[in-house]
Amino acid sequence: METRDILKKVRQIEIKTRGIVEEIFSGEYHSVFKGRGIEFAEVREYIPGDDIRSVDWNVTARMGHPYVKIFEEERELTLMLLCDFSSSGYFGSQRQLKIEAAIEVAALLAFSALKNHDKVGLLLFTDSIEKYVPPKKGRTHVLRILRELISFQPEKAGTNIGEALKYFSRVQSRRSIAFLISDFWDQGFDDPLRLVGKKHDLIALRLSDPREETLPPVGLVKLQDAETGEDFWVDTFDPAVRNTYDQAVRARRNKLDRLLRTSGVDTVEVRAGEDYVQALSKFFRMRARRK
Amino acid sequence: MDFRDPGWLALLLLIPFLALYLKLRGKRRKIPFRFPTLEVLRSTGGGKWARWRWLPVALRWTAIALIAVALARPQKLTQESNVSTEGIDIMLALDISTSMLAEDFQPKNRLEAAKLVASEFVTGRSSDQIGLVVFAGQSFTQCPLTLDYELLKQLLDRVNVELVTGGAIEDGTAIGMAMANGVNRLRASQAKSRVLILLTDGQNNRGEIDPVTAAQAAKALGIRIYTIGVGTEGYAPYPVRDPWGGIAYQQVPVKIDEELLRQVADETGGKYFRATDAETLRKVYREIDQLEKSKIRVHQYRQHAELFGSWLGWALALLLVELILTATRLRTMP
Repeated sequence: METRDILKKVRQIEIKTRGIVEEIFSGEYHSVFKGRGIEFAEVREYIPGDDIRSVDWNVTARMGHPYVKIFEEERELTLMLLCDFSSSGYFGSQRQLKIEAAIEVAALLAFSALKNHDKVGLLLFTDSIEKYVPPKKGRTHVLRILRELISFQPEKAGTNIGEALKYFSRVQSRRSIAFLISDFWDQGFDDPLRLVGKKHDLIALRLSDPREETLPPVGLVKLQDAETGEDFWVDTFDPAVRNTYDQAVRARRNKLDRLLRTSGVDTVEVRAGEDYVQALSKFFRMRARRK
Repeated sequence: MDFRDPGWLALLLLIPFLALYLKLRGKRRKIPFRFPTLEVLRSTGGGKWARWRWLPVALRWTAIALIAVALARPQKLTQESNVSTEGIDIMLALDISTSMLAEDFQPKNRLEAAKLVASEFVTGRSSDQIGLVVFAGQSFTQCPLTLDYELLKQLLDRVNVELVTGGAIEDGTAIGMAMANGVNRLRASQAKSRVLILLTDGQNNRGEIDPVTAAQAAKALGIRIYTIGVGTEGYAPYPVRDPWGGIAYQQVPVKIDEELLRQVADETGGKYFRATDAETLRKVYREIDQLEKSKIRVHQYRQHAELFGSWLGWALALLLVELILTATRLRTMP
């Protein structure tokens, strides 16, 4: 893609999402992710003049000197976008590819954060970490993130969600709101997910396509694994094959749902061909009600 | 099975390469659908029929191979041709006694006429071994069985009564000896059909072997004997030297032991003929020629049955099956 095309695309997405942010989302994002008031920042040695109420007695006792707790008002939030750029995203039977939907959702969230004066950070991954943009504030930064999303060409094809989550918890020590945008065609990320789920406000944004969940009866089909490049012939006329596949997909989905639920991670399902704005809007309302 | 146009069979050699080429090209052209992940799909095994997806292609190539064979025009010979190349063995026994000089046959005399007709007979044959025995009071072999007809005809041409008049052999008619000599020549031959053609103009009056005994020997060996009696009815003009050095003609009665010759012929499965002049003698030889030739003609008769129909039929059937399979159960995408 040429720079001009990228800028054009950025502009398009910006206009589209800003409209949504202004009109449909107005307030929803803000009300859901608001700051948590004051937050403990650090302890330091007592200086005459400090409020005695702020002395940390435990630390004082341990150190033999008086220490005071310093609180900081948390005015701003950090929104982290963890985007799965693996090749399985380059699949779409409906209007757009999953990866395109992911980019638009990510842009929407970024602009929502911009309107709320939040910091926005970006982490792109495949089976390795492809790109990390540390969280920052401002319209320029958001536009940069958008540009990265649109123009990025991943080096690898596979998916490793666990690795991405581990990396994320390493670089982002402060609590943040993190959207994990992926189709979740991966396994073995249970522990990192639980860990990140505890530390951050992690939200799983699951992209799915009806064609990958069920096989239509069209005959013998040669399929190529988007991530490994292997070929496989499937007889889609065989009802046993279709049933087994449906069941296997459902089992996998149930397992993922259970994992997300037990890890305290909220889930937003974005199905290809369906309106993701509505899905997000519904999710925000649900979150607001719960609070 | 034979092929009329075997050139088409070369197509069979081309087929593997063609199939391989088209397969590789198809692989480049038919890009498989990208699918997010095959991990789950693999657990289904792909289905039984997915393992049969090569079947339509195999059917098509088999059909093409069958068509190639059909194009080569397979034919079947209804009659085997192995006999056709095998000729028969013929011994000619020619009487050279002085009585053969009787001039009731044209040209010149009986012997010359017999030689001429025998020569024509030899010319008319092919792939038969022919030999020549001459006899008078004794018998000897002029030419053993041979395919070299030129040599045979030369030797035949050299035959004359001077052997007798010069005293090399005794005059007379030793039919039994001639038969024995001819049969002996035929004994060792491997041919399926063996024939002795005996030409004489007199009665058996010499020799240690009785003609009937010789006929029995011939019969035991499976040799047919055709006997020909030459000589006009009644009297024949016989040249004799007159006291003045000229030639006078004497009317000599023709005495042929037809009884014996017929018996000999019947005994051995042959036939007796009476030739009263050169023309009838020619006819006799022609008849013998036909009798012995007709069998060979039957053997050489070949009938070709065209077999491409069934090959083509199978090819079309396979193509039909392929068409049905690819349209229904084994429909493939892309």
